[in-house]
This record gives sequence, structure tokens and C-alpha cells, in this order.
Amino acid sequence: MLISEPRGLTPVWVKLFIPVLSVLAAGFVAGIFLYITGETPSTVYAHMLRSAFGSSRGISETLISATPLILTGLAAAVAFRMLVWNIGAEGQFLAGAIAGSGMAIWLGDGADPWLALPMVILAGCAGGALWASASAVPKVYLGTNEIITTLMLNFIALRLMDYLIFGSHSPWRDSGFSTFPSGRPLPEGARFPEFFNRLDIGVFIAVATAVGVWFLLNKTRWGFEVRVVGDSENAARYAGIKVPGKILGVFLLSGAFAGLAGALFVAGPAGALDPRSLDLGLGFTGIIVAALARLNLLAIIPVGILMGALNNMGPSLQSIGVPIAAVTMLQGAILIFAVAGEFLVVNRLRRVRSRSAAVQQATGEGSPG
Amino acid sequence: MNDSQLILTIAAAITLGTPLIFAIVGEIITERAGILNLGVQGMMLVGAVAGFWATFNTGSLTWGVITAMAAGAAFSSIHAFTSITLRVNQIVSGLALTIFGSGLASFLGRAGSEPLVGNPSREVFTAVIEGGIADWPLLGPLVFGHDLLVYVAWAVAGGASYYLFRTRMGLSLRAVGEDPASSESVGINVAWVRYAHVMAGGALAGLGGAYYSLSLVPTWQDDPIGGAGWIAIALVILASWRPWRAIFAAYLFGAAEYIQFTLQTLGEPWSNVPSTILAMLPFVLAIAAMIVLASGKRARYLGAPAGLAIPYFREQR
Repeated sequence: MLISEPRGLTPVWVKLFIPVLSVLAAGFVAGIFLYITGETPSTVYAHMLRSAFGSSRGISETLISATPLILTGLAAAVAFRMLVWNIGAEGQFLAGAIAGSGMAIWLGDGADPWLALPMVILAGCAGGALWASASAVPKVYLGTNEIITTLMLNFIALRLMDYLIFGSHSPWRDSGFSTFPSGRPLPEGARFPEFFNRLDIGVFIAVATAVGVWFLLNKTRWGFEVRVVGDSENAARYAGIKVPGKILGVFLLSGAFAGLAGALFVAGPAGALDPRSLDLGLGFTGIIVAALARLNLLAIIPVGILMGALNNMGPSLQSIGVPIAAVTMLQGAILIFAVAGEFLVVNRLRRVRSRSAAVQQATGEGSPG
Repeated sequence: MNDSQLILTIAAAITLGTPLIFAIVGEIITERAGILNLGVQGMMLVGAVAGFWATFNTGSLTWGVITAMAAGAAFSSIHAFTSITLRVNQIVSGLALTIFGSGLASFLGRAGSEPLVGNPSREVFTAVIEGGIADWPLLGPLVFGHDLLVYVAWAVAGGASYYLFRTRMGLSLRAVGEDPASSESVGINVAWVRYAHVMAGGALAGLGGAYYSLSLVPTWQDDPIGGAGWIAIALVILASWRPWRAIFAAYLFGAAEYIQFTLQTLGEPWSNVPSTILAMLPFVLAIAAMIVLASGKRARYLGAPAGLAIPYFREQR
């Protein structure tokens, strides 16, 4: 029979192998559902790969999709490492998009890009952090569970965006079309310049942020203290680290990353605050990115690109008659296998002849085997 | 009298709250066993599509309900396996269930040569009693005029309350959720109890989902339930982990949902309130309730199981 026992130290190849295996296993499970609904899984997967990586346009679209996911992945990873369960990246993303586009519209048409772009970025980060603070402050000072509050704030952010575009004559709404409301296009000066097909410089900001956060957490005193709190709150308290301040800081930072993702998205590929182009579940997909990257801040970059590729494959599936939801199904399956795979990262399996032999071996009694 | 706004609102609250009762009671049972399952949204959607599909193919609501519950239970067993056997993080595992379930439901509704999407259900739940006492003033619309699942929901909430607090099995269940190690030492099989109740919770969530696709929104669409699964998780706290209180929590939310749609028809000054702002209200209330009722140690007094979401390692007692 098979028994499991804790690993002392996890080998690096296991840490790399498990995520790869998770993706393959998810592909197999999704393949079963594709097969029973009358598709040929190999044809579907080949088509998906071609659409994401087979052309320069495919590659640029993949990177466009990856940009917000790297940032929402970071938002989830920094929070989860601290055992802060911020699952409100969705709402913080929208808050960042609202704040970023609001700043762009307020600065107006004649704004200098060298001023406008940093201001949009700052507004996005501030919007996301502010939205997170509605959960972070009660958590830190009252002990309110953040899972529910961050979730509820996702819905509130969505309704707020609906209000700004559909329910009012706000500055975010395009005043030109009164019959069918849509978002006002952002002024040219506040749009991130494109350099490779539709790909804009937002992708560099996302990658630089990932590297920056890695540096902050692994190479600075603040990062060290944060990691101590994440490993053991008691140890941190005994060491004189101010735990509430650290948790608040990480929570707000997490929100700021999601907000930055929203600002880059609205001033990049979306070009306007519009519910139809922003309500894409990018916050939740960020959680998949973080889990598959095993909360490793640098691994989030390639994993974000992989998830971006998957997101980007959805629409092309429709051309061969496969529902877009196949992608969500595949991503959900990836997350299930990634989280289940953590078991194999922490434990190893060993074959033994019988349970009593295993017990004898473990307790050191009798002859082994 | 039966046309008065108040009675209409309460009657609508009962209808809109019914699927939430199933989902809340299911999650209460799951959490009482010490397992947090954030996959309610996914389980409800899988139940919704399975129930719709079965009724669509057999023309029988009974088969729809049975299939929805079986699908919900089977789907929740994924979470049971990862959180009980593999002991991995329950929060991420539950989220995975929700993402996979919503993708799966939407995929199954659109896949194949004759997809379900856009089709009306062949059968829908209708009022059990037509005319007679169902037309009585007050009692008619509030008590006698509902469809079968409304009464089933009352029975489920009452039955679960009795089970939790008046039976030996219920005592074992609560013990497992509070302190699995001590439960094990008095001979309770912790893993078995947890598996059974996670899957019972999944079956109830599946039933809740099917109430949407077979009664409230009886034409298949990608997401017939809105955010009901998430709301159910929040309402568990408002119901303070007691099944019969789930009825009030669910109806309160049902009323809030209904008022959003009717306020516009009431004329000045009510019609000036934007519906999108009003739609935020239930979620703002949920957060306020969370902060006031369940902050810090108050969650424990309210009824939160002490062992909730903590993986149990049998070998490391």
C-alpha cells in the first residue's frame, strides 16, 4: 500500500514538476469534457496553441492579456504569503480602473503624457489600496474576517461601475451616445503608447513591479519582517515586530497591485471605463496565477503569461464551435490540481508492504520490511 | 389586501430567498464539520445545469432535483478530498471549485450540437395549491400559495436544526467541527463525518442552484444564479451557524433583492434612487453585519466552529 509522510526538504525538481503536472492533468480532465460533448481534444488544444503563440499578433495579444494577470497574481501572492485572504482583487481592480480613468478624464485632452501616465498609475494604485482598506482596516483593528468583506466589496465595485456608466451622467460616461450608454474614451495623452501590434508599455510596468516586489520582500528589512509575520505571528510579536502595521501594509499593497492592474487595463487595451470590457474575472484569475506559481513572486511572470495565453485563446475557440467557457473550465481545473499538488510538495508517497510494516518502520520497532 | 405592496414584497422575498436557504443550510452543515467550502457558487451552478439538463431530457422535475443534488454532492467531493484527505488550503481549494464549476456549467450549457442555452425548461415548479386557501387574505400569498420547494426549504432548515442540536449524529458533527482530535479520541471517525457533511452541503447547494434553473430563471443561460453562492457564504454568519435562522437571513436578502426592482415603480421620491446604487445595499449591509456581529472573538460567541478551516492531521495529535 501507499503511505504519505512529510518531506524534510522539498527538492527543486518537485517544486517545478508539480505545477507542470497540474496543467497537464487539468488539460486531461477538460479533455474528457470536450470529448463527451463531441469535440476532439487534440484538435481543440492544437488550435488554442496556434492562436496564442502561432503569430506575432497572437503573441502580442497574449502579453496584453498577461499584463493585468501578473499584477492581480502579485496581489494574491503577497497577501496569501501573509495569510491575508484578500480575494477582492476583482473589486480592487475595478476601483483602480475607476480612479485611473477618472484621473485621465480630469486631466483632460491637452495633458502631457509625461505627467498624465504617472498620475494615472498613482491614481490606480491609490484606488485599489483605498478599496482594500475597507476590508483591511476592520481586519487589523477589529479582527473582522477579510474573506467575506473583500468578496462583498467585489460586488459593490461592480455596481459602482454600473452606476457611473449606466445609472448616472458621470464624467466617466460618454455623453455623445445617450441611447446606449458606454464609457468615455480616455484622452490620447493618458493612453499607454503601443509598440508591438496592440501591446503597450504596461507589460513592462507589470514585470518591473513583480521584480520590485520580489526585491522588497526578499532583500529589505521590511520584507524580512513581513515574512516573519507570515511564518509565525507569535514569533514576530516576540521579536518586537509591529504585527498590525505589517498586515495593514501588505493588505494595502495587495490592493494597490490590483488597482494598478485596473489602471493599466483601462488606459491600455480597454481605453475607456466600460463594464462590458472590464468585467472579465481578472481578479479571480490572479488567484490561479498565484497558486500555480506557488506564491513565488518571480514565477508569477511566466505563469501570468501562460494564463494570459489561455484567456486569449477563448475567443478563437468560438471560430471552431467550442464555447469560450472551456477556458474557464480549464483554468478552474488547473487551480484544483495546483492546490491538490501542494500535498505532494509537502509530503512524499512511499510504497510499503503493509500498514503494520509502515508503523514498525516509523516507530523503529522490529525488522524493517 | 393581497395586492398590497407589503404582502407582495414578503411573498417575493420568500420565493427569492428559497434557493439561498438550501445553500446557507448546506454551508452551515459543512462549516459545522470544520470545513470551509468557498465553492458554493460553483456547486450551485453545477446543480443548476445538471437539474436543468435532467428535466429537459426526462420532462420530470423529480429527476431534475435528484440529478442536481447528486451533481452537487459529487462536485463537492473534490473539495472534501483536497481538504480532508490531502489537507491542503481550504480557501484556495474552495475558490478553485467555484471557478471550475462556473466554467463547467457554462461550457456544458453551450457545448454539443443541440446546446441547452436559450431553451426554456420543459417543466417548472408551480404553486402546490391553486385557488381555495391559496387565495385567502394574508395567509394565502404568505403561507399557502408557494411551490413545493419553498416548503421543502422550511423542512430542510427545521430538520437540519433538529439534526444538529437534538441527535447524537449532530452532536458528533459539532464535536468534529470544534475539536477533531478530542472527537477522534472518543471514537468518532473524523474523516468520515467530514466527508459525509461536505457532500450533504454540496447536495443542498446543488438543489439551491436547481431552484434557479427550474423555477426562478427557467430558461438556461450561462449564469442563472448571479452571486447567490457568495451571498450564501456571507449569510451563514448572519444566521450565526444555526440552520433555522437561515430562513430569516435568506428572506431578508430576498426582500432586499425584490425592493430594488419595485422601488422604481413607487413614484417620487423613491423612483429617484438609482437602481445600481440600491443594488449595492445588500452587500453593504452584509459587510456592516460582518463588522458589527462577527469581528474578532465575537465570531466564536456567535457560533463559529473553533476548528473551522484548520486542516486536521491525525498522526500529529
